[in-house]
This record gives sequence, C-alpha cells and structure tokens, in this order.
Amino acid sequence: MSYIVPVGPYHPSLEEPIHARLYTEGEVIKDAEVFVGYNHRGIEKLATERNCIQTLVLVERVCGICSHSHAFTYAMCVEKINGIEVPKRGDYIRVITAELERLHSHFLWLGIACHIIGHDSMFMHIWDERELVMDLLEKMTGNRVNYAMVTIGGSRRDVSDELRRELLDACDKLKAPLDRITEIAVTDKTIALRTKGVGVLTREDAIRLGAVGPHARASGVDIDVRRDAPYSAYGDFEFGVPVVDSGDVYARVVVRALECYESIKIIRQALENLPEGPINLGNKLVKIKEGQAVCRHEAPRGQLSHMVVGDGSINNHRVSIHVPSFKNTPTIPHMLRNNTVADAGLIIASIDPCFSCLDR
Amino acid sequence: MQEYKRIDIQKDQIVPVAERMRREGRYLVMIHAFINKDGQMDVSYEYAVDPEIESYHVVGETTLPSIAMIYDVAAEWPERELNELFGIEFEGLDTSKRLFLPEDMLDPEGRGQIMVTPLSELVEKNRKEGTV
Repeated sequence: MSYIVPVGPYHPSLEEPIHARLYTEGEVIKDAEVFVGYNHRGIEKLATERNCIQTLVLVERVCGICSHSHAFTYAMCVEKINGIEVPKRGDYIRVITAELERLHSHFLWLGIACHIIGHDSMFMHIWDERELVMDLLEKMTGNRVNYAMVTIGGSRRDVSDELRRELLDACDKLKAPLDRITEIAVTDKTIALRTKGVGVLTREDAIRLGAVGPHARASGVDIDVRRDAPYSAYGDFEFGVPVVDSGDVYARVVVRALECYESIKIIRQALENLPEGPINLGNKLVKIKEGQAVCRHEAPRGQLSHMVVGDGSINNHRVSIHVPSFKNTPTIPHMLRNNTVADAGLIIASIDPCFSCLDR
Repeated sequence: MQEYKRIDIQKDQIVPVAERMRREGRYLVMIHAFINKDGQMDVSYEYAVDPEIESYHVVGETTLPSIAMIYDVAAEWPERELNELFGIEFEGLDTSKRLFLPEDMLDPEGRGQIMVTPLSELVEKNRKEGTV
C-alpha cells in the first residue's frame, strides 16, 4: 500500500522548521521531497541598509549555533575589499572562538543524535560536557551565543593570561570525557544498530550533489576549507581532517566525534603560540570601498561563503550569504530512499541541519 | 590566503565552463548575483580551484542557461533562489514552486523579488496585508 507521509514543518526531532514529504510503500520510503522557507527573514535585504558594524550584529543573528562563523566570514570579506590586515593576535582569537564554537556545535549535535536514537542517558552526558565549552565561551566572550567577538580589523576582546591558562587546562579536562563519548559512540550496540547502514550517501552522490563539511567527510570526500584554502591564522596550525567512507549516519557520528579532537588540537596550538600585540585596529567604522570579495570559512556544518559588494559608501551594496545547510539539505531525499519511516527523523537530523541559517 | 580571481565571460560560455569544472572535479561554491553601479545584473559562478576562487561573471543578462543538469541540486537551489530574489530566468529550470519566499510574494505584474523591490514598497505591501 502506498502512502504519503508528511513530516514537519514542526520537526519531530529537531525544533526547526522543515517539511518533508515521504512517498512510502508500506514502511519503506520510496521517494521524498523537502520544503524549506518557513523562517525566511530577508537578512540579505536588511544588510543593504546597514553599515559594516551593524551588519556584523545582523549576520550573527543568521544562526544561533554558528553565529561567530558568520561574523568571521563577513569581516574577512570587508577586510579583503578594504585591504585591511588583521593583527596576528586578533586572528588567533578569532580562530580560538571558531574552534570552541565547533566543539559546542558538535557536542550539541552528538547529544541530539543520541536523543533521537533513544539513548537519553548518553544525550544528557554529552550535554553535560558541552556545558564546560559553553562556560568557556561565556567567560571568553561574555555570551553563550552571539559572541560579538569580531570587529572589522580584528577581535573585540582579548584573552588574558589567566584565561589563557584556564583554556589550556580545559583542553586537558575535555580529553577524558571526549574519549569516553567517542568510545561509546563507536562501540555502543544501541547506537550502531540505529545508525549503521542507515541514510547512506555514497561518495559519488556526495560529490554530485555538492555536500559539504562533516556530512561530506562522512561519505569519504576529503574536503576542508581550513586545510585546502587556509585563511586567517589556520595556516599556522597542524591538524588532521577525519574522513570516514561508509556514508551512513554512524559515519557522521564518528566524523564529528573525531573532529572535536582536532579542534582541541588547534585551540591548544593557538593558545600556546598566542602572539603579543594589538587585537584589532581600533574598532573604527569604515566605508566599504568599491569592490567585491568572496570568502569561505569551514563552519561547524561545512563550508560557509559570504560575498560582499561595496560601492564606496558606508553601507553594503550587497551581502550574499551561503550556508552549509544550503548544500546539505538537498541531499536529504537521496538519503531517505529505501529507508524506513521510523528512521526518517534521524536521517534528516544527521546532516546537522540549520534551517535558521538556510532560510536567512 | 584565499585569492579571488574574476573572469568575465559571455552567457554562451556558462555551460562549457561548468562542464569543464565538473570534469576537473571542481566544487561549485555558489552562484551569486547583484545589481552593479550601472544598474546591470552581475551574476557570478564561484568555483573552488583551491586555494583560489575562480569567479566567472556574466554582466547585463537576466535570462541565463541553467547548469542544474551539470551540477544537480548544488546549482538548482542557488538558481531557484536567484530567481526569487532578483527575477533572473534560468532556461530549463522549474520555477513553478517557490523555494524560500511565499507563493503570493509576486504582485499581478510579476514584481516582488525582494532584492529588486525597495524595502519601503515591501513594508507597504505587508502593512496592507496586515502582517506588520
């Protein structure tokens, strides 16, 4: 018997608006469609009415999880157009914030994945450890989300020696819980039963459909903007890019868990080699020169790109924001095919979707 | 550092460039658009040729060939978005359904793409509909 099963727009597992229409034969999904746009706020339009400092505040509100990534990428575009060189210390602080953001984002997703699987004790354990990262972010930036750490020409807040030591200690403290989480994620039978062979995206499909970030790396596509096209201070650090070939939900769990280790590695290197000097160029409001720039950043969910066009006035002429979920969401129907309705929620959530980012 | 290389092309080169990039295994970063200072549409196809971005610009055209048959949904979604924001037509692209914006955004004359409609006009439209 054929059925059309609607899922969302109030998503059953993530509190985010996406509507998926599943075409099923019995319990098996034969085809699917996704519908987005429930949260479009016209941020690109609003950006044309704002100067660069106001835009930093605006683009941070694109997403609650990767807010720093948006401000970071937008600032890089304006700095490129205006030929501004960011002080090294400012760059390092941007990178530390970006990697802490990746840690909290991956912990958040790993927790949610466990919750959907039905492993709630693991969910609570992971979110408990995530609080350590959130506390560090709060101490460093003053906020749990929307950190406001970026300004045109550097970072807004410095890292004191005391905070630097505390962050270094935290890198050690995070190691044991992360080992435990990774071990459980990799070896636990409940997780394996719900994730292995579920929602497979082959390497060929990932490349053809343009998947990015951990989602692509879990399908064996070895891409990472931090390594392939280094920007800011990323060229100064050594880190690995975990890639897993199986392309199922299990691979997405493993890739994200392993990426947490690499983020800690980057944070440690940045803190140990934190350069002396200014953190910014004075927090001034600049006119955006006539010109155009595109910058890419490896946000927690994958490659994020901003395009900024300046016309010599105080306001942006155009800001175009393209987020990783824009690339990953269209892969959902391909992953859903030939899986069961019971796994649909987990498969949709496995790309770590952000519909707030996607709708902008 | 990420470098940005601008290359101006004609409309009929869009598909051959996309085919070459696909053959070389290049990643389509994005398709962007804006209206330049001369009031012309500037559409750019950004390809990652790491560590560089090669940006192929087509200026002054509002009807373009779709490259969705080459880059699949990685091109289809950006093209649909640009159709909604700027009213750019992509030949061969199904735009019968809206991707992001409400179905009733367009007025009877077909205007309402938010990036080319003044903000004041959009506010006025919403006020009439009682949504602000």
